Amino acid sequence: MQLSIENVSKRYGGGNWALRNFSLDLRPGVLGLLGPNGAGKTTLMSILATITRATEGRVIWNGADLAKNPDSLRSTLGYLPQDFGVYPNLSAVEFLEYLAAVKGLDAASSRRRIDELLNLVNLTDVRKRALGGFSGGMKQRIGIAQALLNDPQLLIVDEPTAGLDPEERVRFRNLLSELSGERIVILSTHIVSDVEATATDIAIISQGTLVAHASPEALLQKVEGRVWDWIFPSAELNFVRQQVLVSNTARRSDGVHARVIADTPPPNAQPQTPTLEDAYLYCLAEHRGKTHPVVMEAGTPA
Amino acid sequence: MNSARLLYHMVRADFLERVRRYSFLLTLAGALYMAWGVATEKVWIVVGNGYRGVYNSAWIGMLMTICCSTFLSLVGFYIVKNSVQRDTETRVGQILAATPMRKDFYTVAKTLSNFAVLACMVVILMLAAVAMQLMLAEAHSFSLWKLWSPFILLALPAMLLTSAVAVLFETLPVLRGGVGNVIYFFAWTGMLGLGATGFDDPSGLQLLYRSSRQTLQAIDSSNRNDFGFRLTIGGEHAIRTFSWNGLDWTTNILLMRLVWIGAAVGIALLASLFFHRFDPARAVVKKFRKATSLSAPSPEERSAGAATSTSSAHLTPLVRTAPSSRWKQMVTSELRLMLKGQRWWWFAGAAGLLIGQFAAPDPGTRSGFLVAAWIWPILLWSQMGCREARHGTSALLFSSERSLSRQLPALWAAGVIVALGTAAGVGIRLLLSGDAHSLAAWLAGALFIPSLALTLGIWSGGSRAFEALYTIWWYMGPAHQIPGLDFMGTTPASSSPVPYAIAAVVLLSFAYLRRRSRLGYA
Repeated sequence: MQLSIENVSKRYGGGNWALRNFSLDLRPGVLGLLGPNGAGKTTLMSILATITRATEGRVIWNGADLAKNPDSLRSTLGYLPQDFGVYPNLSAVEFLEYLAAVKGLDAASSRRRIDELLNLVNLTDVRKRALGGFSGGMKQRIGIAQALLNDPQLLIVDEPTAGLDPEERVRFRNLLSELSGERIVILSTHIVSDVEATATDIAIISQGTLVAHASPEALLQKVEGRVWDWIFPSAELNFVRQQVLVSNTARRSDGVHARVIADTPPPNAQPQTPTLEDAYLYCLAEHRGKTHPVVMEAGTPA
Repeated sequence: MNSARLLYHMVRADFLERVRRYSFLLTLAGALYMAWGVATEKVWIVVGNGYRGVYNSAWIGMLMTICCSTFLSLVGFYIVKNSVQRDTETRVGQILAATPMRKDFYTVAKTLSNFAVLACMVVILMLAAVAMQLMLAEAHSFSLWKLWSPFILLALPAMLLTSAVAVLFETLPVLRGGVGNVIYFFAWTGMLGLGATGFDDPSGLQLLYRSSRQTLQAIDSSNRNDFGFRLTIGGEHAIRTFSWNGLDWTTNILLMRLVWIGAAVGIALLASLFFHRFDPARAVVKKFRKATSLSAPSPEERSAGAATSTSSAHLTPLVRTAPSSRWKQMVTSELRLMLKGQRWWWFAGAAGLLIGQFAAPDPGTRSGFLVAAWIWPILLWSQMGCREARHGTSALLFSSERSLSRQLPALWAAGVIVALGTAAGVGIRLLLSGDAHSLAAWLAGALFIPSLALTLGIWSGGSRAFEALYTIWWYMGPAHQIPGLDFMGTTPASSSPVPYAIAAVVLLSFAYLRRRSRLGYA
């Protein structure tokens, strides 16, 4: 089972490039696709889900070119788009039965599968209610269920935890981890904690290009020794933000505690254990050419 | 001052949003085509015993105004009847609802933005009228007032009224959807019919009729008894001319026009009474009243909201079925989706029409039942091809295997089944009687209707194009048994099965190609 993305580019009307020469090889596991808003994540998801055709490059699924044979992937694809709708007059079961038919599944076994999925996403009790009355989170769970209907080998989920409450978000993360063994899961999000909990690999995308592709450990290694806790008066906060990469701040009685990422330690700063969020911000800043060591000038905080 | 500024920006934003759409350009092209028809003498107003007016400023102004009033008050309605809907769909409405804006202010603003769109087309046609008189060059005198006054005093108030009615339809839940689109057509024909009662109708047709009649009778008394006033396209040509110098804008006429403007304002204000200010709770309750009450979460919902189970991701392996079984399952699913949500009275009505077809004593009555039976499911057919876009399920469907070769034909087949099922009485009786020609016409109709619905749904991305076109076609063709337009074959004389069977195939090809082009990977 292998998905290869080879130099894929996508240009929209008006000449805007959403993706430029994007390449990636994927094998079973969970790939966390991280990137800021407008980075090109949804465009990439859409291309991989055979919704959008790439302007340049190829996507190869188990040796088959998607441009020539998209059905080779579609039969084993589960896709949860970022923004999707439901038929409001259908119940949860009826909607899933309809999509099971669209996906070409057998009626009897798909019925059993639907029961299992509704149980999995915790919607069994409302299985016969019209979807029009569902909350946003419940609709999202229906979306997750439909993506798993055909036992997909490639599962693409675009911002899946949007609209879910914290408890459901944890459930979904666990579900993804459990599902990942024998399939490729691509989890696109800008919420680093979702990726942190589930991903076996991380790809960071920015301005349509691949910034980094590595294991979480390798990414963390990249910022090892570069994360600091720096305390300074709150009046200096704006100045500090201009000088170094600040990943978090908290006001305390002794001043502002800033979590900063810098190649050299700021004065009196204490080293911190890096998180994936630090690594993500560092990679983005590095890509934009904005990382820099701490420059101490007159008037800088001490 | 603030209100004026807000009004200006609301109208402006709405206007710009709409004039940048293809539907605006298409309607404008249609109106200009009609104007071109006038200039090239393909569109005529024939009065009395084969008369037409000399192409002076007054006559061209009148001719163009009639085209304008009739065409734009019908097509224009369907073009502008989406301003409130768009605010709902884009969720901009919820932002507006959270501002101090009053409901009546909103409906008036929407009426004015609708009017701005229609008025824009009228202005373009006013300019076209000038070019037209220069092109026709039949009269030497030129009067801008005579040319433009019918536009300003007749067409523009008619457009304002159309705009207000569109907003009213959008705010009334029962008229908001396809039912409203169908009802408007009949309301529009009724409005044009007002002229026959001697009442000054909103389009001003009656005024123009009276004035031209008086002028013509003064020069040819043979027109006294059987006076006709017909807008003809192609066909009948006037052979004689008379000079008509325009309407005398009396105080009474102007007051009547003011009455229509006042009526438009009144309708816009009336709409505010039904406008729910984008309250999602009210919209949901009305839309899903069949579902469990939403007033308070049910115990099941609470349990569904609170995740407690510790389910495992283990799923039973799936069985892949034979292609024939999948096809049957797909068609059944599409049919169920089509029929789901229909109220009991819809099924009762369809059953009543079916029984009528079986029980009808003569072919004439049976045809009447057929005509009624094939307007009854219009709102089912109008969802074909656009349901995915409307409900945002396109990405789910189009990422599925063979959506083009399986889901699309299954959807069409479901539409055909609805057509065959609702008119089965006629079909069975024709089969038993051995009337092969009529049976073929009936079958061609059953294939043609869903093909038209599917194609228009896919190409327009909405249901209105089919609802409007089908209603007009149904009224002009089958309901009046006009040869060539009677796609149902209501009588042997008016039926034409082969052209409509071919049209069904052509339409399906268009639907397929369009859907194929929309899929990233076919």
